[in-house]
Amino acid sequence: METYTYVNIFETKGLEYLLLISFLVLFVVLVRYLRGNADTANRH
Amino acid sequence: MSAEPLPLDPRPSVPERSFFRFLLGELRPRGKWLTPFNLISIPVILLGVGILVVRFIYGLESVSNLNQAYPWGLWKGFNVITGVAFAGGAYVITFVVYVMRLDKYEPIVRATVLNGLLAYVFYAGALILDLGRPWNIINPVIGNSFGYNSVLFLVAWHFMLYMVAECIEFSPVVAEWAGWRRVRRVLHSLTLGAVIFGITLSTLHQSGLGALFLMAKPKIHPLWYSEFIPILFLASSIPAGLSMVIVEGTLTRRAFREQLIPAGDRAHEEIVLGLAKGACIALFVYYFFKALLFVHEHQWSYLGSPWGWWYLLEVVGLVLVPCVMFAYAVRHRRLGLVRVAAVLTLLGIVMNRLNVSVIAFNWNSPATYHPSWEEYVVSLTVVFAELWVFRWIVRRMPVLRASPAASRGE
Repeated sequence: METYTYVNIFETKGLEYLLLISFLVLFVVLVRYLRGNADTANRH
Repeated sequence: MSAEPLPLDPRPSVPERSFFRFLLGELRPRGKWLTPFNLISIPVILLGVGILVVRFIYGLESVSNLNQAYPWGLWKGFNVITGVAFAGGAYVITFVVYVMRLDKYEPIVRATVLNGLLAYVFYAGALILDLGRPWNIINPVIGNSFGYNSVLFLVAWHFMLYMVAECIEFSPVVAEWAGWRRVRRVLHSLTLGAVIFGITLSTLHQSGLGALFLMAKPKIHPLWYSEFIPILFLASSIPAGLSMVIVEGTLTRRAFREQLIPAGDRAHEEIVLGLAKGACIALFVYYFFKALLFVHEHQWSYLGSPWGWWYLLEVVGLVLVPCVMFAYAVRHRRLGLVRVAAVLTLLGIVMNRLNVSVIAFNWNSPATYHPSWEEYVVSLTVVFAELWVFRWIVRRMPVLRASPAASRGE
């Protein structure tokens, strides 16, 4: 009978993948946030 | 947005007079002598020169606390390794202006190239002060002992060639100053080639400086050592260079206000915000590089120690925080906040380079190193000497103001 095995993402590549995915998502968010500067400039 | 025209150089062209008389005239001091900068820098430079005389007569040990365990101290860690990172603005801005053709940044390109050139001349030149046998610095060039197997061979050649590329990039300004129109046209035609050559060299020697530490794995604290140090050095040189351009631009506008057009504030604001945007994105990428390496190397266990807190101060306090500040400042057009973020970024780069080369170096060794007061004075002397030359050139050559050649559209 197979026993349950806990995959510790701290010991695998899992955390690195999560970090990379969050980087890509946050990068898009950051660029969109910075581009909002153009709207602010128009208001000035 | 297009760049606003720069004020014209009102002086007559040089061929009307003899060049040597012109040069003698230019060598005369200009401006007020009793300024706070002069009052601070002159005594420091005089003291620094005296210390350097002692250093070259009696050796490094007579003025520094360097020893066999710590052969690299403040002079290399701050002047050379940090100074070269600060000079990164030159390759970033020349890439943006000459390769990407973003004309908005053209008004700052000459000052940035001059800053980069002087940084290499003085900071890489400071290497001579720190060599036990400074006359051997020529060996990688003349072939007495090339040292092909050493990263220093690559760094030495890159430094040298990059200084040549920077000289070519800046040479049209010198030709305009001297009134050599034909020479200027020839030199100007070389600029794009020199820029591309310079950018290639920069990416390689910024990372090459990091590669110097690859062989020091047992000596550098694990939080700062990585096989990817070269990439980290290159990635961090971009926000370092951009922040330096922001800080230097702010100081330059205050110090040389008479050379700037009064209506240029709006253009300057757009340039600073554009640089801040670039610095923000570069810091963001650099922060994730650091985070990824932290996870990859399983470095959680180090965070509970004073070294861990010191690391968090560097990475969170002086990388992530300025990144967020830049983003907020760009979005809300806060120039003051951009400048604060730029200063914090520069502090972060100083801290990172000193951590790798001095502070976290030999972290587990009983030997200690604290720079002597003479080392601090010499480091300041190098910085002040560079600022003196920068000021001398900006007051005489068309660095901030437009030249007659530019107005003629040559």
